[in-house]
Amino acid sequence: MNHRILTSIGLVSVLAMLTPLPTAAQSNTNVPAATNVAAAAALPRTPDGKPDLQGVWDFKTITPMERPRELGTKEFFTAEEAAAWERDENKRQNRDLIDPRAGGLNYVPGGVVPYNEFWYERGDKAVGTRRTSLIIDPPDGRFPPLTAEGQKRSEARTIYDRNNQIGRPLANSWEDRPLQERCIMGLNAGPPMTPGAYNNNFQLFQTPEQVVIHTEMVHDARIVPMDGRPFLSIPQWKGESRGHWEGDTLVIETKNYKRETSLRGSSASTHLIERFTRVDADTLNYQFTVTDPTMWSKSWTAVVPMKRSDEPMYEYACHEGNHALSGVLAGARADEKKAAEEAAKKGTN
Amino acid sequence: MQHWLRCAKIAGAAAVVISALQGGVPPASSQEAYRAPRTADGKPNLSGVWQALNTANWDIQTHAARPGLVAAGAPGAVPAGIGVVEGDEIPYLPQALAKKKENFESRLTADPEIKCYLPGVPRATYQPYPFQIVQTPKAIMMAYEFAGATRTIHLEKSPSNPVDSWMGHSIGRFEGETLVVDVTGLQEDTWFDRAGNHHSDALRVVERYTARSPDALNYEATITDPKVFSRPWKISMPLYRRLEKNAQVLEFKCVEFVEELMYGHLRKQPAK
Repeated sequence: MNHRILTSIGLVSVLAMLTPLPTAAQSNTNVPAATNVAAAAALPRTPDGKPDLQGVWDFKTITPMERPRELGTKEFFTAEEAAAWERDENKRQNRDLIDPRAGGLNYVPGGVVPYNEFWYERGDKAVGTRRTSLIIDPPDGRFPPLTAEGQKRSEARTIYDRNNQIGRPLANSWEDRPLQERCIMGLNAGPPMTPGAYNNNFQLFQTPEQVVIHTEMVHDARIVPMDGRPFLSIPQWKGESRGHWEGDTLVIETKNYKRETSLRGSSASTHLIERFTRVDADTLNYQFTVTDPTMWSKSWTAVVPMKRSDEPMYEYACHEGNHALSGVLAGARADEKKAAEEAAKKGTN
Repeated sequence: MQHWLRCAKIAGAAAVVISALQGGVPPASSQEAYRAPRTADGKPNLSGVWQALNTANWDIQTHAARPGLVAAGAPGAVPAGIGVVEGDEIPYLPQALAKKKENFESRLTADPEIKCYLPGVPRATYQPYPFQIVQTPKAIMMAYEFAGATRTIHLEKSPSNPVDSWMGHSIGRFEGETLVVDVTGLQEDTWFDRAGNHHSDALRVVERYTARSPDALNYEATITDPKVFSRPWKISMPLYRRLEKNAQVLEFKCVEFVEELMYGHLRKQPAK
């Protein structure tokens, strides 16, 4: 929970593969309406009558963002299937079982598996709804088709990721390294929040005037005004958020990102709608819809059922403990020096 | 400790009067006269965007203007200021005083603020950036613009952290009009100001936030650190509400502004 950002090579790919968010259903299918109504009536409320969503929420899960292709149109697992899938997936994800020479997961053969299993706290359970993916729309549980520009970006990313696992990682400057390695943005803090390698939790604070989404990852407090004030329209790393209530659902709209978000390949033009609904004492449904016309041909929606946690959140002082970034840069410079010396030696011989 | 506090109070009272004359914190009586608006659970409501308006971040003690970062011209110089330390004296132990002097000499490179490190407590309060208090019945969020620093003030039981941290572990309670926050678990790498005033990992800070009017708080912090100081000492200052329409804490993720400074020597040369 309190891990430092480690080193490097591959962090990006780790992210990519990390895992996914869960799902539960909310406005969509899976929770019978009657249950919702009964549960909602019993939920704690703040003095202004809104559902009390406060507390620490845990969003780790091993359910992937996208439904594995081999599952086809299978939207839900049975209990037995889910147990079997968890077993297989936990084994597949176990970094200690991956031989770098052979590769595995997203690691290419002959590359590097930079973090061993010790560093992970990604969760080992499928979401409670037993959905096969966190994405609920498109209905195939997969990202919508990419635009031409999105396709280009996606290919560039694949090459970048591969080069970071084998050969010499691109590190002419820190700007070649991903934002999470620079401790500017977290892997999973969003917005939107997505289950990742570790620090899969946040604390929600709620007053009539604002809501705070405080993520452990890179200690980020997103203060969301609830008073209808206009957007300032200045670029912010985590975008600008404004919130309102729709019935018992907290709705937060975010735009004006400074550049890409933590989602694969999305751009500064991302528009996000998050919907938080407390479905019972221990479950907060987190549904979000992402629109980025430069990346995807249509919007997509995912649901992560978050669990109430009694665990405290810790300070994640990422930048302060970031020895990895200087290590990566110094390593790249040492490689260059060695190559230059060898070239010179060849020249003299 | 009790005895010390009493002495400090008497000494403090004199300092308060003096600073009141200078436009600082007013006498206690006027603080007590004000009753803050209440939250739904009946506590003084301290929510809002606040900011100190003083030079404590440059030097918590009284100081004349002096040169700072010469290359930055006038904005790099240090504005003069009235100290926020009661009695204007910091009771350093001899070795710690030597360390302070050493820090002062190397302040233009050694101050952790330069590297965008989390500022710690109490410094986060009086850096020249706003911070926001979001008050709920069980916990209070204090979110600082500088470096996106955050603290959760636990109003319910909360076990202490297993390791020290930059912003510490804060337990709060209300005493009448005052929010009292006991901060422990602070590590030693933060400074109090750009003048090199420092502490150890034995630092304990007890803060008191009291509304003095609708738009100002009195802030006090009692500093205890037996490894560095011969006795506890206290700082105090007003904090002002940011009254601008739609005031809010924006991002100052300063990491990107310090990377050249921290990693520039590791950049590929010539860059291409």
